[in-house]
Amino acid sequence: MPKYAEDPAWSDVEPLPQNDGGPNPLAAIAYTEEYSEAMSYLRAVMASNDMSERVLDLTEDIINMNPAHYTVWLYRAKVLFNLNYDLRKEIDWLNDTALKHQKNYQIWQHRQTIINRLGSADGETAFIAKMFSKDPKNYHVWSYRQWLVRRFELWDEGEIEAVEGMIKEDVRNNSAWNHRWFLVFGRDSSAHKEQDVIERELEYAKKAIVLAPQNQSPWNYLRGVLRYAELPVSHVRDFALGFAPADSPDDVRSSYALDLLADVYEEQHQKEEAIKALDLLATKYDPIRARYWEYKKNLLEQPTAAA
Amino acid sequence: MSLVSGPGRGGITEGQLPSELRLYVDKHVTYIQSLDKRKDELEYWLTEHLRLSGLYWGLTALHLLGQPDALPRSEVLDFVISCLQDDGGFAAAPQHDSHMLYTVSGVQILAMLDALDEFDERVSGGREKVARFIANLQHPKTGTFAGDIWGETDTRFLYGALNALSLLGMTNLVDVDKAVEHVQACANSDGGYGTSPGAESHAGQVFTCVGALAIAGRLDLVDRDKLGGWLSERQLSNGGLNGRPEKLEDVCYSWWVVSSLAMIDRLHWISGSKLQEFILKCQDPDHGGISDRPGDMVDVFHTVFGIAGLSLTKYPGLVEVDPI
Repeated sequence: MPKYAEDPAWSDVEPLPQNDGGPNPLAAIAYTEEYSEAMSYLRAVMASNDMSERVLDLTEDIINMNPAHYTVWLYRAKVLFNLNYDLRKEIDWLNDTALKHQKNYQIWQHRQTIINRLGSADGETAFIAKMFSKDPKNYHVWSYRQWLVRRFELWDEGEIEAVEGMIKEDVRNNSAWNHRWFLVFGRDSSAHKEQDVIERELEYAKKAIVLAPQNQSPWNYLRGVLRYAELPVSHVRDFALGFAPADSPDDVRSSYALDLLADVYEEQHQKEEAIKALDLLATKYDPIRARYWEYKKNLLEQPTAAA
Repeated sequence: MSLVSGPGRGGITEGQLPSELRLYVDKHVTYIQSLDKRKDELEYWLTEHLRLSGLYWGLTALHLLGQPDALPRSEVLDFVISCLQDDGGFAAAPQHDSHMLYTVSGVQILAMLDALDEFDERVSGGREKVARFIANLQHPKTGTFAGDIWGETDTRFLYGALNALSLLGMTNLVDVDKAVEHVQACANSDGGYGTSPGAESHAGQVFTCVGALAIAGRLDLVDRDKLGGWLSERQLSNGGLNGRPEKLEDVCYSWWVVSSLAMIDRLHWISGSKLQEFILKCQDPDHGGISDRPGDMVDVFHTVFGIAGLSLTKYPGLVEVDPI
């Protein structure tokens, strides 16, 4: 059923059909026809540089059918700015669209363009929370959130609390861990270098490890903080021993603890112990990466490696 | 090349012994050839905005399978050139907008078909025009690259830019040192890299960042053991690889993770045989094609990355792929 061809608002536009050289095979499904018709009107308005309000309806229609079509988004933004359109209304519409199309990233680029022009982050955190309730690891949304924090200086505006809430909900959410790192260590100020901040972050990671010892994220975080603060790994030796007791290899509760202990032993020149830990990893606790553990063992054998 | 998914699903081989698994070369070739004949399906048109990249993926798969002529060369060239826009960039399809990603695909196809000279003959000054389009997308202060005139930046574009420019022999048009600096800023404390400074480490972005450094001749900047450790942690007990901690395995990471490991000489840190087993289980043995994981619909994207993963891990009978 033609939609635009019979609409008086579009009667002055001559649609430009797809030119692919051959007979047009589009006939099979009604929905295909709809899409093809809308696209032919888009080509026509773009060719004549039509910036009227009806183009917003047209692009909305196409985006609903196919949000990944980047050209449509670009043209829509052009028209919005040209019309001085109410950008709050655009955001309201974008909210629904983003929730419908979780995997799409053009939406986020468009949102960034609009919010940047609006110059205000009001309501953004609430909407992001809504997105995360559907997929708490959505990469596009996390990237957008970082942009927002930088653009509007939101470092101390409830971000840490929000991220703690998310880690509480899922202690294995690596994206949330990354955002925490970004908030604490990614900003241009020296506050994060202070001793109490380092201690606080170490404690935070440790608490999360206790909840789920076989979880990469907090172990990576713990190591990251140690490296950042230029502390030796042996700083957390006793803590790690709690999950991988040296004297009872059957009671290892975390391969990451064992991995960290191997580094501790190396640091403290306890070569035998380090080899024992690496062997356990290669044979029992992480055999799929046996070659990696062997490599680490070989490094121990080389006298220069410790230097 | 169409990005339509299906018709089949990967994983019908479920229940076979590992020793019985094999690569269905002929099926995959027919599958790729069939993709452009599915114009009566809506999805064919809905994926038009990816077509040029799809063509690159399909062609690469055919090259790796040892059948580079399975798609007609002159038709492929005609299509690529029809995607070239006045600004020197390539769009995903005729009458779309130029974009870095499709410009890279366009150049890659021309290089793969050994058609760069021919391109210059058909489009006067074509190579340089394309190189200038890419070079103009570099941000002079940060060294990063945008995808289009709207300025969205991402390490994917930076890698793509260096890749295409090096194929064109024109990396001298951009500030490579600044680009390298930007890549360094995307390194995270876990050893991985993200889309932009501060963004979460992601195996796909690791590939783009390490690939960019490799092209720039600056792999010396990579902490190979730390990054290799993080990359090898991507392998799960079923042999498949994920892209971030605590995420599901997906065949496409057989390329992103494994090629990155190869570039830093740490390929042997994962189990190649377990990975091969996982990829082979994602095939549709009847209609060809590979899916993201067993049981899902096949598509050309996962087909090429599955085959590339097999090639990198030296699966017999495949053409060897360059990890960069």
